[in-house]
Amino acid sequence: MKKLSVFAALAVLAALVTAATGAGQAAYKPASLEKAANTLVTCGTTRTIGIAYPATGPAASIGVLQFHWAQFFQTRWNKAHPKDKIRLVQGDTQLPNTAQALAVAHSFGSNASMLGLVGPAGSQEVQDTVAVYKAAGLAVVTGSASRVALSRGKPGDPRETPVNFFFRTVPNDGQQGERVAFWINKKLKKSRIYIIDDEESYSQGLADQVQTRLRAAGKTVTRDHVNQSVSDFSSLITRIPSSTQIVYIPWQLAGKAQIFYTQLRAAGKSAIVFGSDGLFAPGTFTGRGSYVSAFPVDYNSPVLKAYKRSHGGQEEAFGLPSYTAALVNAKAIMKACKNGTATRAEVRKNIIATKLTKAESLLGFPVSFVKKNTGAQLGAGDMALPADYGVYKIGNNGNYNRVG
Amino acid sequence: LTTYGALHQLPLLDIFDTIRQLGWGGAFELLRNGIVLGSLYALIALGYTMVYGILKLLNFAHGDVYMVGAFLGFGVLTALGGPLAPTIALVPLILLMFLGGMLGAGALGVVVERFAYRPLRNAPRIAPLISALGVSFFLANSALLLTQGQRYNYAAYELGGNVNTGQPGPLFEPAFNVLDRPVTVVQLLVVSTTIFLMVALTLVVSRTRLGKAMRATAFDREAANMMGIDTDRVIALTFFIASVLAGAAGVMFGLYIGETYYLMGFLAGLKAFTAAVVGGIGSIPGAMVGGLLIGVTESFAAGYVGGQWSDIVVFGILIAFMLLRPQGIFGTRAIQKV
Repeated sequence: MKKLSVFAALAVLAALVTAATGAGQAAYKPASLEKAANTLVTCGTTRTIGIAYPATGPAASIGVLQFHWAQFFQTRWNKAHPKDKIRLVQGDTQLPNTAQALAVAHSFGSNASMLGLVGPAGSQEVQDTVAVYKAAGLAVVTGSASRVALSRGKPGDPRETPVNFFFRTVPNDGQQGERVAFWINKKLKKSRIYIIDDEESYSQGLADQVQTRLRAAGKTVTRDHVNQSVSDFSSLITRIPSSTQIVYIPWQLAGKAQIFYTQLRAAGKSAIVFGSDGLFAPGTFTGRGSYVSAFPVDYNSPVLKAYKRSHGGQEEAFGLPSYTAALVNAKAIMKACKNGTATRAEVRKNIIATKLTKAESLLGFPVSFVKKNTGAQLGAGDMALPADYGVYKIGNNGNYNRVG
Repeated sequence: LTTYGALHQLPLLDIFDTIRQLGWGGAFELLRNGIVLGSLYALIALGYTMVYGILKLLNFAHGDVYMVGAFLGFGVLTALGGPLAPTIALVPLILLMFLGGMLGAGALGVVVERFAYRPLRNAPRIAPLISALGVSFFLANSALLLTQGQRYNYAAYELGGNVNTGQPGPLFEPAFNVLDRPVTVVQLLVVSTTIFLMVALTLVVSRTRLGKAMRATAFDREAANMMGIDTDRVIALTFFIASVLAGAAGVMFGLYIGETYYLMGFLAGLKAFTAAVVGGIGSIPGAMVGGLLIGVTESFAAGYVGGQWSDIVVFGILIAFMLLRPQGIFGTRAIQKV
């Protein structure tokens, strides 16, 4: 009887929690967020955009790149638009610390002067915080959250973000995965592939995409995992059979990829290393003979050259989509502010209608967002015409040469 | 479960499969990797154990001193032209890196002891523990501010090598092969340097006046004071030696693995702490054995079970020891306590 009572109490408790959670999701609108969502902001000459990125924590090294690009944009924009300046407010999400990402979301959401948002950086962060941003009326415009399901659910499954509250200036994993699998299968013609994800959302998503396509093509694919915090890959490398032809590492940290490459070679293994756009980092990942998929960015563009000059000669494109995300926000806010005031709803409406030329976006292709599921990969909020990913081969002295 | 196909789904059989596939050569490779990694843990663990032995303090800032040592070694390397164009020969360059990393870390250890722990000498034991956590965050975040979170690479693979042909430098040349698996020069360097430093430390503790003073202070600080031993100085020197060892580990990590990063001290510090606890905190041989045990276990777990399991296994060992033998392997019969 006593046991029965305990079970009954637990069942009631579980039901209450479920009901409370469900109710919370259905009507998640704290007063502070709702108030900020409906505030009519007087634009003045300086408008506020939040940037949610990992300034500290294990992913700080890539978060800093995103912030540098956004800052670079801010400087250029403010110089060109003295009456429509933007101010960036930083929020440190400490990826993968979701609690911190949520804290940033609440802080940004209730900051009534904030009209736009760049970030968050990680797919999981976006999924976990988008409800808060939606309640606050802010649209997420991320430069790196690339998981397909954020914008396009599988048949029968809903997408992970609400339509018109999620946009990305980075192609999704499906697009990159398709390109990489095609390249390994048809161009390099390799059949024994070892895929290692770094247990982060970005990496797992890409690894899944490439694995599925290569297995469907009849290739021998082995899947392995390594935590992003690991620096000594020697034991992992021991697991890789000597007959492996390609090791695909869709990681975010180029420094780790370089360590992996040197340890692979030191172990006497000659498999080709193939990395994702997170590893496009000339000067950091320099493994000769390796391949990297990345945006077809024009490094001869005067803007990219200016960025390189102002950042110690470092050629870098991982953070570039954050520049584009900031531009999307700035243009939408400027348009909304034409009459001197703006609301977040107006800004969102303008984001949906974004049109950037190839020269403006810097990504190597023009940017506009699709409004509904399109083709096999895209969902509302994805870029409509992302060019094919470029494939780069790393040559002597760490030079990146585009080969496809 | 009657067919091999169904049985194959069980992770345990995956492990047996991997063991079979890797063979003796793979087993040697994992052992080699584990010994190298364990040597580094052991050096850091010695710092934990020395400080605990003398002050009964878990110095959680020790992992960050190791991180600073790694950055200082990298600073010396960069100041002398960097790995691709060093301005002096390889051997003196490496010696200078060790010197810079070890002395700098040693000095930092003394400063930390002077300002964060000495004022709390007679406070309840929780106070210096909290202070240690504070110092750890202070050092890590100072490094974050200074480096902007960037990861730096010693690029020791290229050090002295040929960039045009991709030929690695002498550190990554095989010194010899066992079962067709190479043991590189840098792996030998890490293990031999660790053995040398441990022997030197053991001699200092057992054969010198300083060592005697350290043992006396560890045994009974008040009594040692009354016998005329300057215990503050002895404690400061203990911190210096512990930090010098951490600095050496930092430089060796940089040469072997390459990566230098503001958070690198956190996980390494935790694992070294685990090694010290497993070996028997306060025991010098315990730190050595614990370090090697943790390193080898981590390596075999990563190799046979999978990288995602290695930390689970390592910290599982810590929990098991805390439950079954909290005094650690050498806890009951520690010959030397400092």
